[in-house]
Amino acid sequence: MKGRDYILPALVFVSMLLALYLVGFYAPIEREQGVVQKIFYFHVPSAWVAFLAFFVVFVFSFRYLVSRDKRWDNRAAAAAEVGVMFCTLVIITGPIWAKPVWGIWWTWDARLTLTLVLWLIYVSYVLLRHYVADAEKRATLSAVLGIIGFIDVPLVYFAIRWWRTQHPQPVIAGGGGSGMDPRMATAFWVSLAAFTVLFVYLYRVRAKQHDLEDEIEQAHQLADELPATGKGD
Amino acid sequence: MTWMIAAYMVIWIAIFVFVFNMDRRQKALAAELEQLKSKLGS
Amino acid sequence: MLRTIATILWKDLRIELRTRDALSASFVFCVLVLVIFNFTLDLGSEEARRLGSGFLWVAFAFGGILSLNRTFALEKADGCSKSLMLAPVDRGAIYLGKFLANVVFMLVTQVLILPLFVVFFNVPAESAVPLLLLIFLLGSIGFSSVGTLFSAMAANTRMRELMLPLLLLPVSIPVLLAAVETTQYALGVNENASDWFKLLIVYDIVFVVASYLGFEFVMEE
Repeated sequence: MKGRDYILPALVFVSMLLALYLVGFYAPIEREQGVVQKIFYFHVPSAWVAFLAFFVVFVFSFRYLVSRDKRWDNRAAAAAEVGVMFCTLVIITGPIWAKPVWGIWWTWDARLTLTLVLWLIYVSYVLLRHYVADAEKRATLSAVLGIIGFIDVPLVYFAIRWWRTQHPQPVIAGGGGSGMDPRMATAFWVSLAAFTVLFVYLYRVRAKQHDLEDEIEQAHQLADELPATGKGD
Repeated sequence: MTWMIAAYMVIWIAIFVFVFNMDRRQKALAAELEQLKSKLGS
Repeated sequence: MLRTIATILWKDLRIELRTRDALSASFVFCVLVLVIFNFTLDLGSEEARRLGSGFLWVAFAFGGILSLNRTFALEKADGCSKSLMLAPVDRGAIYLGKFLANVVFMLVTQVLILPLFVVFFNVPAESAVPLLLLIFLLGSIGFSSVGTLFSAMAANTRMRELMLPLLLLPVSIPVLLAAVETTQYALGVNENASDWFKLLIVYDIVFVVASYLGFEFVMEE
């Protein structure tokens, strides 16, 4: 590994450590919710990162359909996989936060519901890839789904928001907007940066793995052909 | 407080599992690469 | 192009008229869903009126998935899909033909279910029938637009019957939600549903166009 290759992992390590320190020791304890509120510092950045991931899937799906270069498909797949992981984190930490604060595990509030729907769409993306055998077909179908899924997102957002204003529920929010202590803001932004860097790192590793899988596949095919090409050919 | 710890554990475990699986796949790919090299080298 | 659409539409409709497979399956399934809801949730008449729209559209969604599943299953089964793809016709036209056939199937089921719904749930729907039909149409268009596309996609996978609902249900949440809210409005449960009507129309336009364009890629060989 070249020296260059260590930059990103080092960045992940440092930013995460810094974020943890700020969240644990620098950010004040919220008055009403207590220590539990600190889940916010990882819950919300995970959501933002998941959303970023799905946007990336959208862009790379387009690029694949335009160029038919398999590497774009690999990148889209990598982004989706990492995105689903972060999305899962949001859905699990949400209830863990809600139970001690509001006494209930789940409310169908706008943000958490939107995240859940997003999770469903991109899990179906991952499953679709799993069930299509042919590589090119898989790439094409996933790309179409990646685009359709993302187009759906604003519609889902408005649908859920209007649905929730008609039938209001308690909101798993908190920490954002009015009256946030500047120390909390710092911790939040650092945490967001740390999670974004982590996403980039995980995404790149996964994307390179997909590329490597393709190369190995090609090499296998070449190797299989070798004995067959005799001298007379 | 326990809830906080639970949440952080979940995050830590999830990321660890993800990275662990990636590492496993990396090793499998590396092994396949070795296999190929010997196939082609000989 | 129009002729292709008409040919495919007519072909699917005629197959259905002869066998009535999809329609009867979808109709019976919808009835079952409504009946089971009534059993499992023992609702008083007031609650039934309030919640009925939701159950109705759940029934329509699952019934719709049944008929959507068959859209391309037939083709794949007899090897027709290869000939369909070899034919020098606009892929988009194939999509539109299939899509319109699905809309018709869904609408027919819905029209047949409506009287049963009124009876089971004691809903005062008489005055609202024209509006309800419009809502059924808009909802079916939205649902079938992505449904037809995803049906084609799912046909390419190993688990066709499982993949279609998995793909379709999350993406169709806005149109299902809008359909339920507008139906509630039509039945006098909601006050104002103009936003929901707008959502229905926007969803229909966006996804008919998107699916039409996307179908090109799904159908290639």
